[in-house]
Amino acid sequence: MVEETTDKNKVWDVVMIGAGPASLAAAVYTTREDIETVLFEKGAIGGLAAVTDWVDNYPGFPKGISGLDLSANLQAQAERFGAKIELGEVSKIEDKGDYKLLQTTEGEYKAKAILIATGSDYKKIGVPGEAEFYARGVHYCATCDGAFYRDKKLVVVGGGNSAAQESLFLTKFATHIDLLVRSTFKASDILQKEVKQNPKITIHIGTTTDEIVGKDGKVTKVIGTDTASGKKVEFPTDGVFVFVGLSPNTEFLAGSSIELDNIGLIKTSMNDLQTNMPGVFVAGDVHSGATMQIASAVGEGATAALHIREYLEGKPHPIQN
Amino acid sequence: MPKNITIFTTNTCAYCGMVKKWLGAKGYSYEEVNIDEHPERQQEALQASGQLAVPVTVVTRQDDSQEVVVGYNLAKLAPAVS
Ligand SMILES: Cc1cc2nc3c(=O)[nH]c(=O)nc-3n(C[C@H](O)[C@H](O)[C@H](O)COP(=O)(O)OP(=O)(O)OC[C@H]3O[C@@H](n4cnc5c(N)ncnc54)[C@H](O)[C@@H]3O)c2cc1C
Repeated sequence: MVEETTDKNKVWDVVMIGAGPASLAAAVYTTREDIETVLFEKGAIGGLAAVTDWVDNYPGFPKGISGLDLSANLQAQAERFGAKIELGEVSKIEDKGDYKLLQTTEGEYKAKAILIATGSDYKKIGVPGEAEFYARGVHYCATCDGAFYRDKKLVVVGGGNSAAQESLFLTKFATHIDLLVRSTFKASDILQKEVKQNPKITIHIGTTTDEIVGKDGKVTKVIGTDTASGKKVEFPTDGVFVFVGLSPNTEFLAGSSIELDNIGLIKTSMNDLQTNMPGVFVAGDVHSGATMQIASAVGEGATAALHIREYLEGKPHPIQN
Repeated sequence: MPKNITIFTTNTCAYCGMVKKWLGAKGYSYEEVNIDEHPERQQEALQASGQLAVPVTVVTRQDDSQEVVVGYNLAKLAPAVS
């Protein structure tokens, strides 16, 4: 077994929290400028992009690209210039004046600057049966667990782009999908069209998900309400995939002075993506007002990297003047 | 050092890659069972974990006792292999 040693007193130029598209793009820029960069990743390298089946709207890939391949490319590009990726979680950051101190599962790290690009995680629906059948019939990652539903029936809960896109992916395995949309179907026109044309998917607009019911440790049905008639409706199923939005990965900032907005996303005051803690920058989905797209996360990552360079050189970026 | 480590994976599962990467970085060798390529072995993953999810990592210790870790969960995986 290889035990890695870290010099506890080393002060990194920049520690990036998360290794999703935003940080990986930022790392390409910082490392090409010889800014010593380490990224911490507690989940999948590539972030949510890595668990997305197919990405059709990331510029430069006219035929689209799988999320896993795009993530591998981003990782390879960042590592090519010397980015170091630590598999671990950051649990706390503190401003110590000359440097920032990070508590991580790999020990303490010190940095002159930090980039927070921790994105978000799937939200739960909070109905009876959801926790009980977690990973035994209730899932949040189609590319991970979809293969268990070959020739089975599924319910997908959600009405946004993710629910639509992942339903389409799940038709590779499932014989039929009931898509339960609580209020309006908010997916993009092109995704809505594809879903509507897919004979394996039945869309139920205005249908809440009230309970996930099972027997002998297996999910058997979902009980919901048709909001128009107020009547209870039942959907026999072998499993449920939930895509009802995301909640920001900012719990680790509780107790820090970093300012968050009312949904927990990180605020910035100036145009330089810097938070209210000097030297701590933010990029991607976790930034207040983010558009939650890979292209924008990558764009913000690049922008943050350039501002980090200015910060490390002790120069304010021209747009602040 | 465990006697044997088996990971059940699929082609599209990002967390499966992370378990392999983490084990590789720590110097552990493992056997991979890809259930997309071997659907007949899906039942083994299900039996080991009781869950319909991948990755499933089955760690067999020197005394033949087993520990099963579902998902990419370093808090469970690290003590299981140590
Ligand atoms: C199902 C689905 C489909 C999508 N499809 C598309 C699409 O087709 N096109 C598109 O442009 N966008 C798509 N998106 C959105 C896109 O994936 C995100 O906008 C993008 O991944 C955001 O990148 P990010 O780097 O900001 O955050 P993320 O990708 O969320 O990465 C953040 C990373 O930080 C890690 N992390 C969090 N907290 C910590 C911590 N404390 N310590 C260490 N690591 C931590 C997380 O594990 C994660 O890997 C989709 C999203 C989903 C959920």
